[in-house]
Amino acid sequence: MKDDPQRRGLRHRVRTTVPRLSRFAVEHLLLLPLGALVALVWVNIAPESYYRFTFAISFAVNDVAMMLFFALMTKEVVEATAPGGVLHPWRRAMLPVVASIGVTALPALIHVRMVQVLDEPMLSIGWPVSLATDLAITYFIARIIFRPHHPVIPFLLLLGIASDALGFVSLALFNPMRQVHLTSSVLILAGAIAIAAALRSLRVRSFWPYLLGAGSVSWFGFFWSGLHPALALVPVIPFMPHAARDPGFFVDALPSAKDTSSQFEIWWRYPAQAALFFFGVVNAGVPMGALEAGTGGLPIAVIVGKPLGLLIGAGLALVGGLHLPHRVGWRELIVGGLIAAMGFSVGLFFSSALFPPGQPRSEMSMGVLLSLLGAPLALVAARLLRVGRFSGGSRTPA
Amino acid sequence: MRSHGASVSLVSTGRNLVRTIALLVAVASAATFGQPSLALPNRPDSLKFAAIGDNGTGDRPQYDIAQQMNLVHGTFPFDLVIMLGDNMYGSQQPADFVKKFEQPYGPLLSAGVKFQASLGNHDRPENVSYKPFNMNGERYYTYARKNVRFFVLDSTHMDSKQVAWIESSLQQAREDWKICYFHHPLYSNAERHGASVDLRVQLEPIFVKHGVNAVFSGHDHVYERLKPQQGIDYFVSGSAGQLRKGNMSPTDQTAAYFDQDQSFMLVEIAGTELYFQVISRTGKTVDSGVIQRQSRRSQAGQKPDSP
Repeated sequence: MKDDPQRRGLRHRVRTTVPRLSRFAVEHLLLLPLGALVALVWVNIAPESYYRFTFAISFAVNDVAMMLFFALMTKEVVEATAPGGVLHPWRRAMLPVVASIGVTALPALIHVRMVQVLDEPMLSIGWPVSLATDLAITYFIARIIFRPHHPVIPFLLLLGIASDALGFVSLALFNPMRQVHLTSSVLILAGAIAIAAALRSLRVRSFWPYLLGAGSVSWFGFFWSGLHPALALVPVIPFMPHAARDPGFFVDALPSAKDTSSQFEIWWRYPAQAALFFFGVVNAGVPMGALEAGTGGLPIAVIVGKPLGLLIGAGLALVGGLHLPHRVGWRELIVGGLIAAMGFSVGLFFSSALFPPGQPRSEMSMGVLLSLLGAPLALVAARLLRVGRFSGGSRTPA
Repeated sequence: MRSHGASVSLVSTGRNLVRTIALLVAVASAATFGQPSLALPNRPDSLKFAAIGDNGTGDRPQYDIAQQMNLVHGTFPFDLVIMLGDNMYGSQQPADFVKKFEQPYGPLLSAGVKFQASLGNHDRPENVSYKPFNMNGERYYTYARKNVRFFVLDSTHMDSKQVAWIESSLQQAREDWKICYFHHPLYSNAERHGASVDLRVQLEPIFVKHGVNAVFSGHDHVYERLKPQQGIDYFVSGSAGQLRKGNMSPTDQTAAYFDQDQSFMLVEIAGTELYFQVISRTGKTVDSGVIQRQSRRSQAGQKPDSP
């Protein structure tokens, strides 16, 4: 066939546009929302094919591929403990950790009460979903509202990490879907950690032995124990050598970075985003006919409970002698609480871990999607309370 | 977990009085509504049961349906009621178990009729321990009556363990008839909820593989009889208390439906035939027919099922 200039031009445009679009989607975290949108449309148009497809891949996505996402999140947290990171030194985390008590307890209590009031008592076991905070969305929305480098941003990130950590603990302890066999699996997990520690002491710089050796053993340990195997790399990542200084939360590793942790991120960044896309496809498919009044329980719990809980938690911390960061007052806490209400990726993960496919999971997942209303509500609250970019004061230097 | 034993003892002193009142109400209603005419063979050695779904409102329509059940029990002595979930709505305190269960069905309970419940999305998980529901603390369970084995599922929480259980239980069953019942319908043409396709994708291949004969569900507050789907007869009977009037949107899957008033089902299994009759709140028969077990061919207007 003749290869005319028009065809060559088209091929060139495709070759340059596809990577550019991919980069844009990854950098702007669009693949998870895109996957969720695909799922919502698909399940309401052709439910049978949607369920056949998603049931076939759900284990591979939820229990295996999502390992990459949580590994990269763990890497961000581990690097944040390095000099320059939001978790360095550790005592900086004390206030958000104390505040997270209010931010988790109040929404959980409201959720349990709301689903009783809304006559859907079967949803009450889903309270750990109300603990979820999507760190990436929190970070980006907080940057939009408060501008970069506002001290409330690391505060919110720490709060999100503490809340999610409590959520994962709750998931392990109160998950009716999984029977936990801790005694039989402690040895396996200890073995995985020993492998990772040995690799580090041997100064192994490639991430592959950490992933295939320690990671595989850890995955089987998590799976065997009844804990969620998507978390298998969480105890392994801290053993990977990482940069001496934290480049910043959600700042991509430079291609020139040579440390093991950055190499791991560079290699797995795009596959992790693909995993997030399929995670959205598998877990956000909510048939509208499945929804009942109980769907409203979660969004109400987090949108009301997180700002109030944050005020209460911060109050407790202040009573305990801790201090709020500079330029963070009750108005910033209310707006921050609304931002932290968005559970999205972690919320969908908790929902799928707690509920098998069916009406309750659909209702909880829709509740998680509705919690994204936290973003516009935070913008409105920021405008009303005159905080962040609406404060009318001088700009914070970027 | 809440102790239902305590609740039962609390009301035990008033129970006889409640039952007497309920009996009087039943007699009075017989005079008001009239006895429903029976469209079932009513053979002496057959298995007879009733099916109710979405009943536990504690409101007048639930009591009306209960009265119709009492009335028909006089001529059609069923000794089993299968409950298709949402057995209790709203508050589920001890007094509610009296108002929404023990009082309306008091005469049947006094007559020794056994209720075997499945849970719906409005039921509290701890209701599995409420003795009159006969669930023995289990979300899903199986029992046999004569030549029929019933499989009761918790469709609100269909985890992989339960799916494995139903597969192995069906495989082991040796009775002539296999009947499954649970709350969420695998097929439904009601507008509000419709079919639970996620459950259908999981359960239907198992039901087909192991020769389930009939499936009863609730959730949609209407009555619908489906044409056999892959050889299985499906009934939606979710209006023994609740009602979504005019909510049906029948398709070519629909064999019969009724969405104008509350209703309940009567079923009689005699040998290789399953007879059914659907009675409305006012005692009118709104659907009836028979299913042949071997060919699963209904004489009530359905097309023969695919082999």
